[in-house]
Amino acid sequence: MPGIEAASRPARRRRRLRQTRVIVLRRLGLGVPVAVGVSLLVFLLASISPFDPLAAYLGDRFAQTSAEQREVLSESLGLGTSWIQAWWHWVTSALSGDLGYSRVFRQPVASVISERLPWTLLVAGTGLLLAAVGSLLLAARCARRPGGLLDRITAAAATLLQGLPPFVISLGLLMVFALGLGLLPGGGLSDPGTEPTAGQVLRHMILPVTATALSQLPWLALSLRASTREALASDAVRGALLRGLSERTVVRRHVMPAALAPFIAVLGTRLPEVIVGAVLVETVFSWPGLAAAVVSSAQALDFALLAALTVLTTAAVLAGSLVADLLYVWIDPRVSADV
Amino acid sequence: MSSTVEAADLRLTGPAVRRRGLRAAGTILGVAVLVLIASYAVFVPMLAGTDEKLTDFSSARLPPSAAHPFGTDHAGRDLFIRLASGLRVSLLIAVLCALASMGLGMLIGAVSAALGGRTDRIVMRVVDGINAVPHLLLGVVIVAMFRGSVTAIIASIALTHWTQVARIVRAEVLSLRSREYVEAAYLLGSTRREVLRRHFLPGTLAQGVVATVMLLPHAIWHESTLSFLGLGLSPDQASLGTLLKEAQSEVMLGGWWALVFPALLLLVTTLAVAACGKGLLSRTEGRQ
Amino acid sequence: MNSIAIRAEGHTVRIPSRTRRGTGWVHAATDVAFSAYRGGVHALVGESGCGKTTFASAVLGMLPPGTMAAGELDYVDASGTRTPLTAGRDGAARAAKLRGRVIGYVPQSPATYLTPVRTVGSQLGETVRELGGARNPQDLLAQVNLEAQALDAFPHELSGGMLQRAAIAFALAGGPDVLLADEPVSGLDPDLAQLTLGLLRRVADAGAAVVLITHDLQRLADSGTADEVSVMYAGRIVESGPASEVLELPSHPYSRDLLAALPANGLQAMPGTSPELTDLPPEYSYAERLAAAAEAGYAR
Repeated sequence: MPGIEAASRPARRRRRLRQTRVIVLRRLGLGVPVAVGVSLLVFLLASISPFDPLAAYLGDRFAQTSAEQREVLSESLGLGTSWIQAWWHWVTSALSGDLGYSRVFRQPVASVISERLPWTLLVAGTGLLLAAVGSLLLAARCARRPGGLLDRITAAAATLLQGLPPFVISLGLLMVFALGLGLLPGGGLSDPGTEPTAGQVLRHMILPVTATALSQLPWLALSLRASTREALASDAVRGALLRGLSERTVVRRHVMPAALAPFIAVLGTRLPEVIVGAVLVETVFSWPGLAAAVVSSAQALDFALLAALTVLTTAAVLAGSLVADLLYVWIDPRVSADV
Repeated sequence: MSSTVEAADLRLTGPAVRRRGLRAAGTILGVAVLVLIASYAVFVPMLAGTDEKLTDFSSARLPPSAAHPFGTDHAGRDLFIRLASGLRVSLLIAVLCALASMGLGMLIGAVSAALGGRTDRIVMRVVDGINAVPHLLLGVVIVAMFRGSVTAIIASIALTHWTQVARIVRAEVLSLRSREYVEAAYLLGSTRREVLRRHFLPGTLAQGVVATVMLLPHAIWHESTLSFLGLGLSPDQASLGTLLKEAQSEVMLGGWWALVFPALLLLVTTLAVAACGKGLLSRTEGRQ
Repeated sequence: MNSIAIRAEGHTVRIPSRTRRGTGWVHAATDVAFSAYRGGVHALVGESGCGKTTFASAVLGMLPPGTMAAGELDYVDASGTRTPLTAGRDGAARAAKLRGRVIGYVPQSPATYLTPVRTVGSQLGETVRELGGARNPQDLLAQVNLEAQALDAFPHELSGGMLQRAAIAFALAGGPDVLLADEPVSGLDPDLAQLTLGLLRRVADAGAAVVLITHDLQRLADSGTADEVSVMYAGRIVESGPASEVLELPSHPYSRDLLAALPANGLQAMPGTSPELTDLPPEYSYAERLAAAAEAGYAR
């Protein structure tokens, strides 16, 4: 039977690998110019703004340096005469591992990143996971009774929660749980003066993670609810009901899998909002993550750190889209890489 | 073979259909709330005069009461009035951002679609690129470099959000291009500019306006976030964002009203604008 | 004497439809009388859009929400107990309990019948488990002439004909007492169609009541599968009787025209077109269509 040959497991795996390669190459082709463009933009903006990188670098010592000293420093920092030169200098050093020196944190930028990134991943990752799981459970329940009470409450609550920026949600949580009820700590990795042990970190993590989850949950829930609604109306679900399968089985094993593929694709495109959420949550809860460093570097105009973080964030978003693309292809057997 | 079936014999075969709520009610509510909020923002500061700027440290940090419905802030200023002028500023900035995005987006979107071919593809790549960067991040970078400039705040939002308007306008122009009456117009001798003005403009304008209204909640959101991070407006200039920034420290001292009222207002305004936008959207879609 | 399994008496269905001008009612069935007996194949024939599939939906309790009905439509089990399928708000719920286990259905368009993200085998296995079926997936596939390899395939990897046969396998998974087959051979080549019809015949011979819905009269007549034939037009049954009578010596003008349209009988075109079933006047009959066609210049 010729038709079924293509269905053999090894053939399918080979096809998958080919599709993966195509997707990765295509995404890289799109992504690299974007990352380069963003870095160029940052340098261009710096050149047309009242911002003086040398002044920013020297900070308070600016007034004390003489004109010749400034020129020498300019040369060594690669600030050059044009922003393109400065940009090139930055790119070449970055590629060899030197991302510059952060004035705000008094460390090389690379170590700022390596020290603070894990904390950001911890909170943002856990929060996003909770939001994803929560929205899956909610959507599954709502799918069993479309238009029912839970369904309508979920839609209303999600729409309401969506209107609040993450920092408002964070402040609200802070107000209620930390200050009002005094149940949970209001910031930092650990209580003042104590070492950040696992226990301490876990306690301090609860509020930021909840804030992250609450900021992402509404959008995810609404999106999943929409795709489960679509799946419910599909011929395949009607077919499953016609076969006599119970409502529970149909929702769990026919509706949700069908809605899952588009949901995951959409999750990947949500990364920018997650990053913004992380920035705000970390700021409110004084969480020592990389996202909060964006704010510090912007406030103090720590150019080296700001430039590095901007490009890094762009790369992260692009990576997120890539992973979403790949997951979509791996989950939905119908999809080919040309989509 | 005919027979008459009495209507009385007919009965339901399963559960009855759930009547869907009236969509129009949502839009009307949105408009009503928006008008209410706008009046609050416009009239209260006007009627109060310059009272809001007066600092009176003896009445600092008072909870809501008859004299001060929203309480007072750390400098003794009445929050009811301060919030109104803050709302006014936020709305004003949001509208300016939306208009700037609309202008930029419509121009680029229409021109790109009209020119087509390579130019169009390049522009679309640029749009995709801009969308790849978190809007706030780009906004933060721009605002950080041009600190203190309101133009920079507006520009930072406009430069990241014009893409949404451009996309919609471009789609509209592309669909119009292939319509028959456009071909007919060209055949009859109209110049490109005439065609643009008479046939493309009304439709694209409508779509552009709708897209811009949909942008307003984002713009409000964006400005308040920037100000909250201390990168937007300066702290003594009241706006939703700066008031929320103050709330962060006020809340530590137990001043819940400093957070609740601005947050509520932000929420209600955003939702009302979004409802109006959706109403407009369904109107224009219906017309299609 | 074979017992009756599906019984319809005065069965009428009105489905609400929202049109531009407001709510209209589709007269999907009017005063339908129908009986399907165990051990036999009862064919329901007619042009597309006459209400055949809606009849199947009514039996399965899958009519759209808000549908109104009158008359009786029952499932009668071997001991004679009647289960009304369209009576009242729990009519659909009662029908739902019978789906798959007691009343099996082979859908009209099998291409979209199965969930695309799971293999055929996993879905068939699930169906067998849930319905407590006696046969395992491999045997079911063998019964419809499909290789066991199909179990590992995803629905989109199978051809239309394979999917159609798989759909029959799914319908038989629960060992149903009644089998409703909606155009089960429409996408199949003659040999495969013959095999499938033979399969349906065997299912009937094994004791089930098979209702064969089809518009392909030629195949029906050639294969000799049906025991009884009912002709449906505009939601009404215009003729009903033993297959030999209806297919060779039909008495109703519509049946006669249907048969005349077959290639073997000369391919004479049907007069006029089928009516829109929305808000159809109750006195409507085939004569009206003939009159309209005559006016338009149709001549025999």
